[in-house]
Amino acid sequence: MLRILNIPQLFWVLLAIPAAAMITGFVGDPVTAFDLVHSSGEFSIRLMIIAMMISPLRAIFGRRLWLDWLLARRRAIGVAAFGYGLLHLLFYLYDMGEWGQIWEEVAIFSIWTGYLALLILAAMASTSNNRAQRALKRNWKRLQQLVYPAALLVALHWLYVDGELQAMAVHFVPLLILETARIVLMFKRRSARNAKQALTG
Amino acid sequence: MKFSQAMMALAAATAMQFAASPAAFATGKMKCDAGPQSGWKSRAVLEAQLKKDGWKVKKSMVDGGCYEVYGVTPEGQNVEAYFHPVTMEKLLVSQRGKVIFKK
Repeated sequence: MLRILNIPQLFWVLLAIPAAAMITGFVGDPVTAFDLVHSSGEFSIRLMIIAMMISPLRAIFGRRLWLDWLLARRRAIGVAAFGYGLLHLLFYLYDMGEWGQIWEEVAIFSIWTGYLALLILAAMASTSNNRAQRALKRNWKRLQQLVYPAALLVALHWLYVDGELQAMAVHFVPLLILETARIVLMFKRRSARNAKQALTG
Repeated sequence: MKFSQAMMALAAATAMQFAASPAAFATGKMKCDAGPQSGWKSRAVLEAQLKKDGWKVKKSMVDGGCYEVYGVTPEGQNVEAYFHPVTMEKLLVSQRGKVIFKK
């Protein structure tokens, strides 16, 4: 019975449940689009951060069953992050309601950083499949590494839309700590390897 | 509990968290020394006045002892604005985080 919980499709369904709740709520009462902009954005960011935490956690902890479990689902998590980002954009556009106003906001820093981040996420999501991986070869990894500038844009987007640091920091500081630890470990291992090579080489 | 079960439980809990709590908006950008709430003009009065002035009000709430309004100005800007709950004076207006009016 417990094997059922590991079915990939079930994981996709779980990732989609909040979106289904949001869409149902919106269809029932479109005025809620205003509130849903906020919650859909938060979901997108949380999923993106979870996906990004996997590599630094692996660097720190090494092979672990729970990390393998997350790693196997990273692609789904990342694509879902883009999905919620798209939902976020759609609720925003609906709430704005007028193309003139929408266009005027594009020039605002807090807004175009969001657009740009979503564009990057779209490029990543659309290539999150085996076919694209085979076709792009080495460029596939380079494309997925755009998640780092995308994360920075998202952090700036959130910080400047809110006009205050708290909410954004609570989400991004843990990731920043993990990435810093990963970089430190990388340099340590590299210098240890170089020292060893110098000794034995 | 196996890790996969814990993850599923966490996912379900997260989904429920969304369902249970509507967006928490109060951003705490302003503080008003407006005295007890019994002396405040009602939010409905503020909204009616704003509508008369050409605003479109999407949402209003109490934040930091002030009235916080999310809406569209007569100029068509989507803003977050703070008003004094007694004098109904406009205190702060910011558009997507960019302050466009401060008393």
